[in-house]
Amino acid sequence: MRKTTLLCLLLAAVCACQKTPVPEPAPADADLSGTTVDLSTVQGLVARKIFVLNEGQMGSNNATLDFLRVSDANYIAGAFKKMNPDAAAGLGDVGNDIVVIGDELWMVVNNSGIVEVLSARDETEVAVIALPTPRSIAFDQQYAYVTSWAGASFSDTKNPKGQVYRIDLKTKQVEGSVEVGYQPEGIALSQGKLYVANSGGISSTLPPSYSYDNTVSIIDAASFQLRQTVEVQVNLAKVFADGSGNVYVTTAGNYWDVHSGLYMLDAAGHVSHISDYVSLAALSGDTLYCLGTEEEYEWTLPSKIWEAWRCTNGQKENIDLALEEQTPYGLCVLGQNALMIGDAGDYFNPGSVALYVDGNKKWSVTAGVCPGHFAIW
Amino acid sequence: MGRRLLLALLLSAPCCLVQAQEADTLAPAQVFSVQSLPVIKAAEEVSLSRLAVPPSQLADILRRFTGVQVKDYGGAGGLKTINVRSLGSEHVGIFLDGIQVDNAQNMQVDLGRFSTESLGQIQLYNAQKSTRLQTAKAYASGAAVHLQSEWPLLLDSYGGKFSLRGGALGTIAPSLQWDQRLSSRLQLKAAAAFVSTNGRYPYPCFDTTLVRENGDLRSLRLEARLRGQVRGGSWDLHLYTYGSERGFPGPVIRRAQGFPFSAERQSDQDLFVQGGWQQEWTARYATAIKYKYSRNYTHYNTHPELNPMALPYDLHYLQQSAYLSVAQSYILADFWSVDLATDVQFNALDSDAGAFVTPRRTSFYGALATRLAWEKIRTSAQVVYQGSWDIFNTPQAGGWSRENAFRSAWMPAFSIWASPWHWLEVDAYAKSSYRLPSFNDLYYSLIGNAALEPEQALQLGADIRLGTSPGPWHWELRISPYWNSVRQKIVAIPTLSQFRWTMLNIGRVETLGMDVCAQTDFHAGDWTLEMALRYSLQRALDRSTPGSSTYGNQIPYIPLHSGSIYFSAKWKDWELGWDSSFTGSRWSRTANTPDYYLSPWSITDVSLGKLLRLPPLRHRARCPELRLGLTCGNLFNQPYQIVQGYPMPGINLMGNVSFSW
Repeated sequence: MRKTTLLCLLLAAVCACQKTPVPEPAPADADLSGTTVDLSTVQGLVARKIFVLNEGQMGSNNATLDFLRVSDANYIAGAFKKMNPDAAAGLGDVGNDIVVIGDELWMVVNNSGIVEVLSARDETEVAVIALPTPRSIAFDQQYAYVTSWAGASFSDTKNPKGQVYRIDLKTKQVEGSVEVGYQPEGIALSQGKLYVANSGGISSTLPPSYSYDNTVSIIDAASFQLRQTVEVQVNLAKVFADGSGNVYVTTAGNYWDVHSGLYMLDAAGHVSHISDYVSLAALSGDTLYCLGTEEEYEWTLPSKIWEAWRCTNGQKENIDLALEEQTPYGLCVLGQNALMIGDAGDYFNPGSVALYVDGNKKWSVTAGVCPGHFAIW
Repeated sequence: MGRRLLLALLLSAPCCLVQAQEADTLAPAQVFSVQSLPVIKAAEEVSLSRLAVPPSQLADILRRFTGVQVKDYGGAGGLKTINVRSLGSEHVGIFLDGIQVDNAQNMQVDLGRFSTESLGQIQLYNAQKSTRLQTAKAYASGAAVHLQSEWPLLLDSYGGKFSLRGGALGTIAPSLQWDQRLSSRLQLKAAAAFVSTNGRYPYPCFDTTLVRENGDLRSLRLEARLRGQVRGGSWDLHLYTYGSERGFPGPVIRRAQGFPFSAERQSDQDLFVQGGWQQEWTARYATAIKYKYSRNYTHYNTHPELNPMALPYDLHYLQQSAYLSVAQSYILADFWSVDLATDVQFNALDSDAGAFVTPRRTSFYGALATRLAWEKIRTSAQVVYQGSWDIFNTPQAGGWSRENAFRSAWMPAFSIWASPWHWLEVDAYAKSSYRLPSFNDLYYSLIGNAALEPEQALQLGADIRLGTSPGPWHWELRISPYWNSVRQKIVAIPTLSQFRWTMLNIGRVETLGMDVCAQTDFHAGDWTLEMALRYSLQRALDRSTPGSSTYGNQIPYIPLHSGSIYFSAKWKDWELGWDSSFTGSRWSRTANTPDYYLSPWSITDVSLGKLLRLPPLRHRARCPELRLGLTCGNLFNQPYQIVQGYPMPGINLMGNVSFSW
């Protein structure tokens, strides 16, 4: 059976050869198969794979990698373990970020202290880079930049500031770090500058100040020096840089009286407030898609009303979305008319990934625990 | 005569009862009556003084009981909790000398803190123990483990025991106990025990073998008990302090080379004072007063300077509790009695953790119970009222709040027992109970939910006991089918560290199960052979949301099948014990998928003991005794995990020497 499949794939590859000038052998993961889904109604989807990183539950070592193969619309769960059977410990504990750069897939495995580099073609391991408590990742042509909660010097036990580490893309070696604010989360590169969102998530629980961080640290990428610190709002979360020099930052709020929000920084570092109530955001080209609810602090409400909207050049525009999931945890924009939404369910058992086309749910498949992060190859 | 009858009844009683306790010289002058017997007998019972080499860990004794799951995070300092019949550990009351050991912070009582050294008897009751003059809280728990302090028979004015245990995991544990008769009506018992262990043991870590690190523990326990007799009554007072310093090795996960799994440390200082006074005012009317004050101070530090992977926490917690119970019992007729118990309790929790709300809780428990008892039939009915008032300080909201602060419940129960022939006993019970959300459930910053609904448990059960009277060859068989349902079940599972919990409201669980216990013993000449087979079937299913992917699945960590085999052979002063436990496959998630499948495991512990009687000292009635014991844990070196990510020790050898005089 497997042989036949391989033969078919080989034939397909040969057929493909006749059409494309560059011959491309079938990737090693070509015979993985999972759930067949329907992508026929998605318009303008230019991608080979959509990767899904499932965070897993902290301490349970159950982060997993899924992918949706566009060619045959097949959703394959648990791909890391299948393609790396010798990696006995699996992907690790808490997958926190995933980015495709070239033909490489970079993943941040937070509580394993690992940046995992895979081949995007077949999910086989390329490199494992050790870094303390890594959170998020950004790239330029030469380096990967990873935010980390751990201070460079651990002598300050009370409340160490975080770091941004720099990793050479070719050698996969760590080359220095820059101190930023407390518990940095998101990071993005815009016009030669790195924007880092400092959360202060741990600081908020520690004496004596019990306060969140409210700053964005701006680092000059070429010199790898901290240039500027800009105050935004408490508990910053993610950073997105569009192609026009706009930098969007989301905040998670203080879970009490300051709600989550979306802010925009221009190249001069001026901050403008765009919206409140942002739970999830994903960038597609120059447009940021957001999902949020005004009932975000209504902890006991059995179901909430979710709203979706998008933002281009700071201009907000509502979009229709009949969201059926009650615990959306990850967001990804596909083509011109589709959204993929990860549902965490009870945050304990495996969640699901759903496709919405033109605002309506088409299907959902079972994913791993807390499907929160997407990358398109 | 009374004592002989009691002895006979105790011997014929629970399936797994071993032998009646040593005669109690200081027992209150109580008129023995059928009203003093519990309607539902203990499901399991162990007299520690009967065991040549008693396990030092309470968890190792409870583990082999039917219907019991002990969750064990491994090692000496690892958390150990008990779950009975899938109700959840919060529904299991642990009672020390009739007073509940509680923990308002997370309602998880760590069995690892209890030493078996000062205990005489351990009993497990499904539903509850229902004897005269118990506290209202004892009526209120879903299942109960009763620990009774040991008061040895003093032939002289004083006695004592020194013991030393040591071996695997770098353990060394000396203890000293002193018993003193102060007068004919007053007895003192003082004990000191020290434990030191490095907690190091090899374990399989994915495709390699590592040694468990940062699992060391040092603890010191000091306690004194005083027991006195007054005309028609008795009183006791117990002072207890426990200090410990331990590391948590953390779950086994993928971790980059060069970073340790954990550098977390915790130190505890526990203190309690408890006591009681029981008085028979007339032949019909008696009262019992019980009281307790406890204070638990905890310092938790993740040491980020030693572990760059640690979240930088350095937190202090102080938990205090004050408790008073007044119980009254009146015998209306020889066959009819009425009990009324009223308890009040105050709990407070303080911490320097951020956004901490400093909760205070005042609880009231009232229990009214009545009992009809004849020789061949006994029945009881009760109703318990529980009301609790919380007040918590939220600086963000500008001060103290009583929002969602009052919770109350009525808990009825009924039980019946009959013994138509001496070889058959049948009982049945129905019980509704209720457990309050813990402070962590309600107020833990960013995870807690102040509007949380309490958990409610409904239990239906029956026991059929068959057996022969005591004699050279004796056997007993107990078959106990049951059904229970827990609604709005709150499940707390420790994640990264045992100190931080994830709240999971599974919602509703229905359990259909059966416990079977068969025991036999045989005496001939210098030989005594004992054997017990236990089997538990538990179908504990998630009934939360019809149509959900996990509906109808087995809940996490509950095996469908489990059991144990116990065998002991005594010849003269030698004793050999064999104890095997089996736990069937389980899942660590409600999603019963291969990713979360946990393999079955079985472990066998073997012990060998020798008693040496030395010649009596001058002017002393009692012969000094030297006991030597050797225990081999996990004889077949089976790698196993009770909780996923927490490997348990392989084969380990422990030696034990004790000298009593």
